[in-house]
Amino acid sequence: MSEEQQPHANLVVPTFRTEKEPKTQTQNGNGRSVWRFGGSEKAAEASTVTLRGVIFMLFDNCSKDVKKTVLPLGHGDPSVYSCFRTCIEAEDAVVDVLRSGKGNSYGPGAGIPPARRAVADYLNGDLPNKLSPDDIFLTAGCNQGIEIVFESLARPSANILLPRPGFPHYDARAVYSGLEIRKFDLLPDREWEIDLEGVESIADENTVAIVVINPNNPCGNVYSHDHLKKVAETARKLGIMVITDEVYDRTIFGDNPFVPMGKFASIVPVLTLGGISKGWVVPGWKLGWIALNDPEGVFEYTKVTQSIKQNLDITPDPSTIIQVALPEILEKADKKFFAKKNKILKHNVDLVCDRLKDIPCVVCPKKPESCTYLLTKLELSLLENIKDDIDFCVKLAREENLVLLPGEALGLKNWMRITIGVEAHMLEDALERLKGFCARHAKKTETETESLEALKL
Amino acid sequence: MEKTNGANKRWNFGANEVVERSSSLSIRQYLETLISSLNVNDGRTVIPLGHGDPSPFPRFSTDPVAVQAICDSVRSTKFNTYSSASGIPIARKAVAEYLSRDLSYQISPDDVHITAGCLQAIEILISALATPGANILLPRPSYPMYDSRASFSQLEVRYFDLLQEKAWDVDLDAVEALADDKTVAMVLINPCNPCGNVFSRQHLQKIAETASKLGILVIADEVYDHYAFGEKPFVSMAEFADIVPVVLLGAISKRWFVPGWRLGWMVTLDPHCVMKDSGFLQSLTNVISMSTDAATFIQGAIPDIIGNTKEEFFSSKLEMVRECAEICNEEITKIPCITCPCKPEGSMFTMVKLNLSLLEDISDDLDFCYKLAKEESLIILPGRAVGLKNWLRITFAVELELLIEGFSRLNNFVQRHSKKQP
Repeated sequence: MSEEQQPHANLVVPTFRTEKEPKTQTQNGNGRSVWRFGGSEKAAEASTVTLRGVIFMLFDNCSKDVKKTVLPLGHGDPSVYSCFRTCIEAEDAVVDVLRSGKGNSYGPGAGIPPARRAVADYLNGDLPNKLSPDDIFLTAGCNQGIEIVFESLARPSANILLPRPGFPHYDARAVYSGLEIRKFDLLPDREWEIDLEGVESIADENTVAIVVINPNNPCGNVYSHDHLKKVAETARKLGIMVITDEVYDRTIFGDNPFVPMGKFASIVPVLTLGGISKGWVVPGWKLGWIALNDPEGVFEYTKVTQSIKQNLDITPDPSTIIQVALPEILEKADKKFFAKKNKILKHNVDLVCDRLKDIPCVVCPKKPESCTYLLTKLELSLLENIKDDIDFCVKLAREENLVLLPGEALGLKNWMRITIGVEAHMLEDALERLKGFCARHAKKTETETESLEALKL
Repeated sequence: MEKTNGANKRWNFGANEVVERSSSLSIRQYLETLISSLNVNDGRTVIPLGHGDPSPFPRFSTDPVAVQAICDSVRSTKFNTYSSASGIPIARKAVAEYLSRDLSYQISPDDVHITAGCLQAIEILISALATPGANILLPRPSYPMYDSRASFSQLEVRYFDLLQEKAWDVDLDAVEALADDKTVAMVLINPCNPCGNVFSRQHLQKIAETASKLGILVIADEVYDHYAFGEKPFVSMAEFADIVPVVLLGAISKRWFVPGWRLGWMVTLDPHCVMKDSGFLQSLTNVISMSTDAATFIQGAIPDIIGNTKEEFFSSKLEMVRECAEICNEEITKIPCITCPCKPEGSMFTMVKLNLSLLEDISDDLDFCYKLAKEESLIILPGRAVGLKNWLRITFAVELELLIEGFSRLNNFVQRHSKKQP
């Protein structure tokens, strides 16, 4: 099968070295020139915190000798699998725009007005303080939203509060913008609620913002109204904004309803990041947004709004094609499509948790209700010769061609993340292999050890 | 609308001043200022000769095969996924083959990095080059996005002149004088925006040799590749990668008239592994891996867009651009206070010099353009936006009728503001 035909072709990540390259000035062969350009330490430092390095290293440990297909469940892109195909209405909207010729020109930096209006309408359904189109800025994917916001907030000595476990792109972009990172914990025994006391202890007068991811990637919980209100109140007390990443707002399959942080905008200025990537399963369409929920006009008079607008003028925009198609994509949002997608994810979660009952050393303390990942805790005491989560995942890759993400990569040592936005049969296969692996590496009990000793004699 | 509550609460966050400084240099800002001064009561169509996007005009519509290619890509459902950082393999391969058509060697797909338009390539490249204390050499006049991004990344800029008396050739003596041991690269835009010239093969070779001597990269911005309708053929700087490491920038935006599709590329041409050994290539890769990508569904269409577009499409469009340039040249000669030292032979722009001494109550190029917008609903870019005060940059790739009408209005304006003869 050619590279393009492999089902996971787009999941394969490029070569990526995580160690710093020295800045050198080298001479060419005949010593004629000294070359004056070199490596950037800033770039090297920022890049060490992305997932790509870890994932690639794990793929590297898989081998053809293990006669099993590689199962890439360490990172995720459900759009690769046909069961998650986006809805036909969205595809139609894009094709219509292409045929009309209306998506070919440059647009303004902030996005074309009909698209901005459509996003405001989409978000306003759940909000008491209504957004106007001027409060919406379009970005080339939610990830670019993070780039733009961090670049707009960066100032000498500024620091930003990020969750642990978190989404490493935040870390990479914070480092790259020169923002100091301070981590607060999500508490596993409190259903991943934010450690607000921890937040208060790490914030100081240089703290500019707290990042909240809700629904939460990687933990999969959906925060309650009361907890979000407390977060807002804490942020207000500290004089910082809340940056809320709600890109998974349509990927919910549990009982807790989604509450947008914008509901508390009268307490604290809220900057919402979102997009269509996860809801419509089209990360390759690259359309996200920044929404400023700010009835008191704080972003305006502190000039954060200005910084964002100016930044958008000198950065790449999302394609005009998707911008023009956006009103139709959002307006025709099909509840049935979302329900079908979320049902598959719920089924996958139940499947994994069911199989995990037979694998005592891998524990899922709280079933996720959202997003496309499942976090498990490793009970290393039940295993022989496995020193930590990275060691576990490396050996798993090596022996079973199964790639799962060590929690260390997200700031959670000795946990492990399983991608559930895949076809169910892959999870069945994965859990079988995981079971076999754990059985092989299980610590022998005392009687077992004695029996083995006896056999040797 | 500023509403402060009671005690005027103190917030810890604020603007990033570096952003403010950087974006005020952008063409968008200048155009916005001019557009805001338009007279709303003037019933005439606004004539846009200030921007660089011919795609709204029917005569410059894209090739239907390109549209079909993207529709197919969307319907295939194979390209809704995330892309690898440097682009999906089929797109990289197609671009490598496309660029190699006019070269004496084959570009490797591994050296091609797909970006969200040429603008993203500039953003990533400048960012990766901006090590502490470094400086970059930019032409004057220039495309100010380089200035904006350099300012933003805190990379010092030094300007070398394009010489109007030498058909806008690079002042190579100045380049040598400006460079020091912290200079990392020089930028060359060929065919040239804003001047409209095409650099000759001999001159490109000299530039490559000079850069090599100075130990600096050449950033070859060829987004207007093949937009050469005069005497000189388009020659790519890629031909000289053996002499000096070249980073080639391009996109489908101009040749296919689809800037809204945001599909460009950055190609590292480094046969002697200089960029690799110096660690620069790794930095570039690091920045690429942290940055957003071109939409995957558009990448997926690239092989068909490039493969199915016939030469007739390109040649017929180029002929249209040439036609516009001809009219532009003719009309300029009729207008007393404007001179064009070098007739355009490429891109879609030309630089013209203002003779302010012939005009009454016009203080400079910005004042000229501001009043022009207000009185004649005609938008032309003031030369200061591209680094030449008291010049103008005229875009000629528009519908012919608009172009002719535009020059008529320009003439009226100039007549009205001319100094009265005694």
